Amino acid sequence: MASTDPETKVEEESSETVATAAAGDEEDTGAQFAPIVKLEEVAVTTGEEDEEVLLDLKAKLYRFDKEGNQWKERGVGTVKLLKHKQTGKVRLVMRQSKTLKICANHLVHSSMTVQEHAGNDKSCVWHATDFSDGELKEELFAIRFGSIEKVAESQTHKAGEKKEAESTADLLEKLSVGETKEEEKGVKEEEAPASVLSSKLSADPRFMLIESMTMEGGLYMHGTVKSVLSVDQC
Amino acid sequence: MALPNQQTVDYPSFKLVIVGDGGTGKTTFVKRHLTGEFEKKYEPTIGVEVHPLDFFTNCGKIRFYCWDTAGQEKFGGLRDGYYIHGQCAIIMFDVTARLTYKNVPTWHRDLCRVCENIPIVLCGNKVDVKNRQVKAKQVTFHRKKNLQYYEISAKSNYNFEKPFLYLARKLAGDPNLHFVESPALAPPEVQIDMAAQQQHEAELAAAAAQPLPDDDDELND
Repeated sequence: MASTDPETKVEEESSETVATAAAGDEEDTGAQFAPIVKLEEVAVTTGEEDEEVLLDLKAKLYRFDKEGNQWKERGVGTVKLLKHKQTGKVRLVMRQSKTLKICANHLVHSSMTVQEHAGNDKSCVWHATDFSDGELKEELFAIRFGSIEKVAESQTHKAGEKKEAESTADLLEKLSVGETKEEEKGVKEEEAPASVLSSKLSADPRFMLIESMTMEGGLYMHGTVKSVLSVDQC
Repeated sequence: MALPNQQTVDYPSFKLVIVGDGGTGKTTFVKRHLTGEFEKKYEPTIGVEVHPLDFFTNCGKIRFYCWDTAGQEKFGGLRDGYYIHGQCAIIMFDVTARLTYKNVPTWHRDLCRVCENIPIVLCGNKVDVKNRQVKAKQVTFHRKKNLQYYEISAKSNYNFEKPFLYLARKLAGDPNLHFVESPALAPPEVQIDMAAQQQHEAELAAAAAQPLPDDDDELND
């Protein structure tokens, strides 16, 4: 039964840090069990196939527990703003990392408001009718991003070997490319002074999120982008 | 295996028994997977709590019925009566409390009396804590008994998916099984009237004033 060589294992582990020891343990111990089900590979659909990715950021999401009057963690993973190629509808989808389960899935529209979280300059809050579990639920969400530096770093990473300034400029460009309906929707000029922002500010994930929601979903923002940005300037 | 009052599903489901000393984090671990929250408050489980937990894999959706059992002896309820028809198991201990590791063989023995030759994962929880009492290399029990061992942290989510992934692979006999993105269905349009919207905004303003938990942490991978 024991197909693992215990001696090798001990040797391996003695020179390892915690993290690598755990990684080493990912290898199967070789225990044999008769499978109790036979599963066939199935076609995987994300449900996002007909959508364009406007934004894709690492974040931590919270939901507000009204009974307990407290924020509770909902998931850590990737938040995306997606725009449907045919209908033009914009939605926010967030998935938990590793399990890839959905922790938020809701439309972004003009009756939504997004505001800063009082005590945390890295987060913002909004109300949504969420469809994560396949049924509509009223939720208050808060989202927190890593430090601006980290986000800029990750964006640089995504853009390959490009410099930080270049990659954020790229990102902004992408955002503004999708702005075709901006004028019809009557988005106020002051909410979209993207071109005048320094690259550091435009790498602020909150700004990116709010800007995309405003541009693409016609969302009304509580306060102005400037007020959000001013937090980081000090 | 579902409880009689629990709806059955048309995709594969497995009874997963979770055992281990009180306070090692069994309930917190399950809750983390269910809702995403990290519960700091300790409330001992009385008897057992059964929670269905779904995962999406490249071989379709699967469900674990997690039998989250009481760790504290005085709240043990039916004890090994809960293990019957268990198809897989997690034995949890706390790396910051040596005694919880010392008790692992007892949990294992009791489990194996009822459930013969089922895949079992040994989990050393709370590895995020600086002052560990049980170091990784001191954990050896799994080798003798052919268990899979993972160091996990329900707090930081470190390796939190691994126990389920391992068990799913063993139950399906497919070492290449992996989690995939579940379909994000298109949310239906909703009409929100002015009154409702005003209420949401008021609630939002109140909520924005409440602090977020663990504000200072940097995001973990």
